Amino acid sequence: MRGSNFSYLVKQGIVSVWHNRMMSFASFCIIMVSLLLISLAMLIAADLNVVIGNAEDKNEVLVYVDKADEDGLLHIEETIKNNPYTERVVFYSKEEAFEEQKEKMEEYSEVLNALKENPMPDTFRVTVNDLKKMNEVKRTFESIEGVEKVSAPYDFASVLVSLRTTLTIIAGAMLVALVIVSVVIVYNAARTSVFARRKEIGIMKSVGATNSFIKFPFFIEGMFIGVVAGAVSWFLTKIAYEALVSFFAGDLTIWQVLGLSQVIRFDDVMWFMLAFNCLVGALLSAIGTVFSMGKHLKV
Amino acid sequence: MVELKNVDVHYKDGGKHGVDALHDVNIRINDGEFVFIVGNSGAGKSTMLKLLTREILPTNGRVFVNGYNLSKMKNKKVPYFRRSLGMIFQDFRLIPDMTVYDNVAFVLRVTDRSNKYIRQRVPYVLNLVKLADKAKFKPTQLSGGEQQRVAIARAFACDPKLIIADEPTGNIDPALSYEIVELLKDINRCGTTVLMVTHEHDLVQYFGGRIINLSNGSVVFDNYIGGDEEYMEGEDEGK
Repeated sequence: MRGSNFSYLVKQGIVSVWHNRMMSFASFCIIMVSLLLISLAMLIAADLNVVIGNAEDKNEVLVYVDKADEDGLLHIEETIKNNPYTERVVFYSKEEAFEEQKEKMEEYSEVLNALKENPMPDTFRVTVNDLKKMNEVKRTFESIEGVEKVSAPYDFASVLVSLRTTLTIIAGAMLVALVIVSVVIVYNAARTSVFARRKEIGIMKSVGATNSFIKFPFFIEGMFIGVVAGAVSWFLTKIAYEALVSFFAGDLTIWQVLGLSQVIRFDDVMWFMLAFNCLVGALLSAIGTVFSMGKHLKV
Repeated sequence: MVELKNVDVHYKDGGKHGVDALHDVNIRINDGEFVFIVGNSGAGKSTMLKLLTREILPTNGRVFVNGYNLSKMKNKKVPYFRRSLGMIFQDFRLIPDMTVYDNVAFVLRVTDRSNKYIRQRVPYVLNLVKLADKAKFKPTQLSGGEQQRVAIARAFACDPKLIIADEPTGNIDPALSYEIVELLKDINRCGTTVLMVTHEHDLVQYFGGRIINLSNGSVVFDNYIGGDEEYMEGEDEGK
């Protein structure tokens, strides 16, 4: 194709956005709303991953040792370290634990000092690398000889795991549904505009236009609408996301407990989101438009 | 050259046993001829035009147009074949949003001609159909006769070997019909083969030449007749 014809077709595509302004506006709106929801869902899912990741890091299994000599302690430590789900092991001797306890309970220091024997057990603090395996790890550690008790925040872990799974499923389903809805609506909007121009397409076919020549302006029209919708949705995503973050930031308790200080800052992913929105918008729109033309090209 | 050899066209979806739209049609039209195709409604004229523009394929037989074997042509090649034709329709089929100039330029863009060529060719063909002064008008601002002249300019713009005119005078003032056929005759004199489908016996009678008459899907007459035009010219010369 000649350069002059290429620019003519691009111009035709953009001019027809205005010619079919009602349908263009409908396509623009649906793509914009879909992209807004898709990008917000993406950002929130990524944030929840960060939060859950933080919670996972703090997740410790405490292995209390009954009475064990130095060899016994070594054996326990080795067994824990050899477990595939062990991320990190820190040993707290009963003395350290007792001192720590004394510091925590300063007002009862006299009572604690009066004790003849240190009541605190030796403890291994184990960080587990896979929350889903928490219960299995707990049972394995309990079976080690010399271990008195294993305390694992299993409930918290299982809540986090199921929360993450549910959120992934919801976000995934939402993404798929939005993509399908967008393509279907754009497809129908484009079909209407193609139908309105079926005579023009028929004339093009009768004078020897190739299918790609006919499709090209529609493709450009779709891409143009998609890119503009992408840019607008990107701007709205920025406003909505920053409002959401500052809403949660207002509550310091949640902020600290969930580690929200590490959530994604929109400015950090600004360019990525802009490129993503424009690209996905252009693709959704162009796919819907081109698919809608099939029947009218068979002349 | 146009050639139909033992062509049958059978439509499956017409009635219980389908419809035979064309039956054993054999026609040969040489380069540079001007041919009228006449026949009543349902005689098979539209089917024949659809065959010649490769909108449909024959059920049996072979169709050759401008050196292309349409029976064996792949769909991909159809647009390139159609560029060797000029089509003129009863309802003009101009693009209403475009000016007269753009309607003609459009076919040249479709066939990937340069801007320079388009700038030279469009005024030339508009001048031929005497519409150079209306280049910036939209089709809706023109009369029926003028619109058909734009359509003729568009069909001729690519300098095709063959022009197929499907009832080109059907939607215009009878007085202007002669003018339109005259224009097609002028194009024919430049060497372009012209095939004109028409209902109007008066026109055929007036211009004469080769007539192909279709009836019930078969060719019932294919011969030359002398037209009143020639007779009148002869009379003029006699005087």
